[in-house]
Amino acid sequence: MARVTLEHITKRYEDVTAVDDMNVEIRDGEFVCLVGPSGCGKSTTMEIVAGLTTPTEGTVFIGDADVTKLPPKDRGVAMVFQNIALFPHMNVWENISFGLRLRKFDTDEIDRRVEHAADIVQLEGMLERMPDEMSGGQRQRVAIARAIVRNPDVFLMDEPLANLDAKLRVHMRTELQRLHKELDTTIIYVTHDQAEAMTMSDRIAVINAGRLQQIDPPLICYNEPANLFVAGFIGSPSMNFVEGDLTRDGLETPNFSVEFDPSQVPNATVGDRLTLGIRPEDVFLEHRAGNLETTTDPIDAVTDVLEPMGDEIFVYLLLDESAERSMEDALATPNQLLMSVSPDTEIHEDERTNVVLDRSKVHLFDTDTGEALVHGIDDLPGPTAGADTGAGTAGTETRATGSGTDTER
Amino acid sequence: MGPDIAAALARLRRQRRPPEQQARTDGGLDEGSAKAPVSPVSKLWYSDAVQAIPFWLPPALLMGWFVYGAVGWNLLISLTDWSGLGQPEYTSLSLEMYRELPGDRSFRAAFRNTVILLVAFTGVSLAIGLVLAILVDRDIRFENTFRTIYLLPMALSFVVTAIFWSWMYNPTTGTINVVLRGIGLDVLASDWIGNPRTRLWAIIFALTWQFSGYAMVVYLAGLRAIPDEHYEAAKVDGASTLRMYWRVIIPQLSAATVSAVVVLMVFALKAFDFIFVMFGDNPGRSADILAVMMFRVAFSRAQWAYGAAVATVLFVMALAIVAPYLYVQYRRGAL
Repeated sequence: MARVTLEHITKRYEDVTAVDDMNVEIRDGEFVCLVGPSGCGKSTTMEIVAGLTTPTEGTVFIGDADVTKLPPKDRGVAMVFQNIALFPHMNVWENISFGLRLRKFDTDEIDRRVEHAADIVQLEGMLERMPDEMSGGQRQRVAIARAIVRNPDVFLMDEPLANLDAKLRVHMRTELQRLHKELDTTIIYVTHDQAEAMTMSDRIAVINAGRLQQIDPPLICYNEPANLFVAGFIGSPSMNFVEGDLTRDGLETPNFSVEFDPSQVPNATVGDRLTLGIRPEDVFLEHRAGNLETTTDPIDAVTDVLEPMGDEIFVYLLLDESAERSMEDALATPNQLLMSVSPDTEIHEDERTNVVLDRSKVHLFDTDTGEALVHGIDDLPGPTAGADTGAGTAGTETRATGSGTDTER
Repeated sequence: MGPDIAAALARLRRQRRPPEQQARTDGGLDEGSAKAPVSPVSKLWYSDAVQAIPFWLPPALLMGWFVYGAVGWNLLISLTDWSGLGQPEYTSLSLEMYRELPGDRSFRAAFRNTVILLVAFTGVSLAIGLVLAILVDRDIRFENTFRTIYLLPMALSFVVTAIFWSWMYNPTTGTINVVLRGIGLDVLASDWIGNPRTRLWAIIFALTWQFSGYAMVVYLAGLRAIPDEHYEAAKVDGASTLRMYWRVIIPQLSAATVSAVVVLMVFALKAFDFIFVMFGDNPGRSADILAVMMFRVAFSRAQWAYGAAVATVLFVMALAIVAPYLYVQYRRGAL
């Protein structure tokens, strides 16, 4: 068991910077996922911790020791690989005991440890089998046993579940969490699958383009993303983004406006370009939004495509009917909004409807820098009370529970 | 065009199926539901082997006549005592020629040299090929250039390389001795192919030069099939580079080794052209191999039956090399 600290880690290849000034401290016994799109530098970061790649700059500490220049075998790490990487010419026992035999442990000790490891991953009675006689899940267990058997200070797992089928993957996720509880060892886990990261880790490190974007517990990353990238990457389907201008009354987007006092938004002044972010589950049909504390003004929309998922329905909304419908990049166009509704909702395609956003779940980002400015605008007061004219005022009022918002107005 | 062909094929297949196994209207096969017993003749007639006769029979006949027929005829000749002008006498067959072989000192020398060539040439080529493959595989610069350079000698004909090496080995003007003398190692300079003690090894050296590139290419393909993670896993588990190759990587190259061994050994048996071009039909007892001896005995001395017996020994040796390989491939389901 040990803590892992990366200080100013940078890895440059000839003309690419794979990892850019990475500073991470992973606590003893913590399960941390490095998550990001392909090529973001998460695997390189792990290879640097393992010692398979030398960083161009920076220092790696495992425990209190500077291991930057140590070879992999002297770092007290064990690794589980994406394609499992069992040695095909060795049986399970030989695979698991490989590291111990290289280190010249005595036979009794090897036997004891291999049996213990096989016991943990439930491989009893399979020690004589060859890798090609086993299923994908069993092979992955062998790979994990091979890591356990060496009693490492740190486990490094590089997308270990990526090659398994969907059902087995979900099962192995639970197994890995159980394993973490049992062994209580530091685990660094690389994945591009944000769902895997969300479900398993104590903290998620979101990486993009070689830079650490945010490292926080899963729900913080979900509810308070540090920037546009994290907001878009964590959560499936992804968050809706609508660009607009900050005005004296709030945010003005091409199809709707959201009212709040702009002076309450830190680091932004009237006239700035902001991006509004809202998750699909925080968009509501107006007549169903009754039990929300505060919502925005109703937004005119037309339903486009419905995707019933069983436990929910994804509804693609067009905000401006006259604009061209674009299927690709639907979430990036200001004209579309994705809403998730419960499966019992009466809703049809090509239907005119009104939707509202949950003000407590509206995120505001600086469009240029991508930095998050505000999470939830429910406690930002409206512009100046009484000065409102016309329709868009109800947004700032606290709504009573129950339906009938129309009568209230 | 496409649908027409598909329809025609479907019709053809329907006709070729035995009547009791016609397609049902729902697209399934009506097997067994009709109780009509299938006669053995009809079963045979509709079997794949019989139905495919137009495809396999002509090439099988050609191969059978020109290859296996010739092998059989050679065997038959080896049982006669045919020599000189005239026709073989097929009435009195005996193993007389084979009985003579063990006592023939020239056969014994040729047999011994063939085995030495087989083992030494194959072993050294594999070892050099493996080392080259590992070096070339380590992400070096100009990898493709090196690969081509190493493989190039194999593209040359034995005739070219034999002439070229006989110049290299020339005791006075040959590059090897000139270089040795140039760096002050006059003592080592020698008449490489003139001296009976070095002659066979000079041949093996030249052949190794020509075929190591082939072993390298086979090993390189094998190495490319091993995922990077195996190297990384071995390193993380604590293996030094040497141990990583010895215990993790090389054992995974066994399939590549077997196929390279078979090809190299067969080449060694066929090294006839190289030696024939270098020395003519009589390289002397120190470098004689069975293939050259067979030619000399049959075509220079017209001892047809004796030459045929030598050829049969050579054939059995080739069979002994290839058969286990084919059997293993067959067991793996690769044939």
